[in-house]
Amino acid sequence: MYAIIRFIQKYYFTLLFILLEIVCIVLLATSQAYHRQAMLNVTNNIVGRIYETRSNINDYFSLGSQNKLLVEENARLRQQLTALSDTTDTRVLTIIDTTYEYIAAKVVNNTVNESKNYIVINKGSDDGIEPDMGVLSADGVAGVVVNVSSHYSVVISLLHDFSTVNVELADGENIANLKWETGNYRYGMLRDISTHVSLNQGDTVVTSSLSYIFPEGIPAAVVEEMIPSPSGDMNSAKVRFTTNFATLRNVYVIKNTYKPEIDSLIKNTVAG
Amino acid sequence: MNSTLKNILRFVALVLVQVLVINYIKIGGYVSPYVYPLFILLLPIGYSRAGLLFLAFLLGLSIDIFMGTPGLHAGATTLMAFCRPAIIKLVSGIPNNEPQKEPNFNNMGFDWWFRYSFVLLTIHSVSLFLMESFTIKLIWQTLLRTVISLPVSLFLITMILYLFSSNKKRN
Repeated sequence: MYAIIRFIQKYYFTLLFILLEIVCIVLLATSQAYHRQAMLNVTNNIVGRIYETRSNINDYFSLGSQNKLLVEENARLRQQLTALSDTTDTRVLTIIDTTYEYIAAKVVNNTVNESKNYIVINKGSDDGIEPDMGVLSADGVAGVVVNVSSHYSVVISLLHDFSTVNVELADGENIANLKWETGNYRYGMLRDISTHVSLNQGDTVVTSSLSYIFPEGIPAAVVEEMIPSPSGDMNSAKVRFTTNFATLRNVYVIKNTYKPEIDSLIKNTVAG
Repeated sequence: MNSTLKNILRFVALVLVQVLVINYIKIGGYVSPYVYPLFILLLPIGYSRAGLLFLAFLLGLSIDIFMGTPGLHAGATTLMAFCRPAIIKLVSGIPNNEPQKEPNFNNMGFDWWFRYSFVLLTIHSVSLFLMESFTIKLIWQTLLRTVISLPVSLFLITMILYLFSSNKKRN
């Protein structure tokens, strides 16, 4: 017994170090990469408030550019509205699509430097936000909600190595997958393009109708260059995201009002 | 100023500067410098070794809570603190005759400071890289980021130290 105490006395520094490192490794190992940001579920308390204060202060410095973005978006929407009212004959019943509802939110924290980037927004379950809802910026796709607390939500950014968005190519028929493959936050890769499809630089790819997270036709990326596959099966393309993640401030969360119905249908089918 | 109070202020200030300012540096997504290890670098030379480890663990954990990476920064900072006494001995070659002395470049000279902080920051960066590479598959990108970020961290830390110590010298 005395020998043990002497041993501890002699090597307490090393022993303490090993103990602390074990705690760290256990913490690291038990927090699964995907749910790491679940820790930010503490966003409701002090960390969330500190981040929100920072973003409140920071907002003043980007008021001009954010204003410009929103004005541009307004102009785009007005144009679409004019186009719509031109084509709609007043005698024809106006069909209002109520599939998607939009909830405006503000970004309180956002990273682009990691290999797994997350966006924290200032709306949560109290505002009707649930996991698996899509998130859009004024310019296009931004991410998908993974975690909500009462006042905040954590969004898996498109800049995350698990993120994949189903997109349609310019012709509206061919489906491909949009991924970010780390590195520069402006550029991503378009994978699984059928070989018969030819893409030109400057073509916009939009969200496909196969997803019920995003409405169809939301811009996601612009083609920069085609990369033919060496084995000749599926082509790839380097693309630039339409959303600038470094300056992301205002986002919209999309609620699909039919999602519970679709979910239960899929569940029944799988179970059956 | 009371040294405990000074350390608490320094701890809080460095954590906040790290998570609210430095983490937002975005240069093509490849630079992620860390300035919070400055706290460990600046503890007095003769500081209790157990205290050193605990403070390092606490510091790393605070950063982890903000960044959503439990254990990552805590592990790297604890390792760095563990190596500190040996590095001090190695760099200065003299036993700590003035245990209350803060190891900054006013007290120890720039050359000494540079070797000391370079070695310890390298340990911090490399262990951060190793622990991160257990959880991700993108080894080369992380390595590139580590190599680029290290000199940036070293520069920022020295600048911060310079800003805050030059005032004292003038008085």
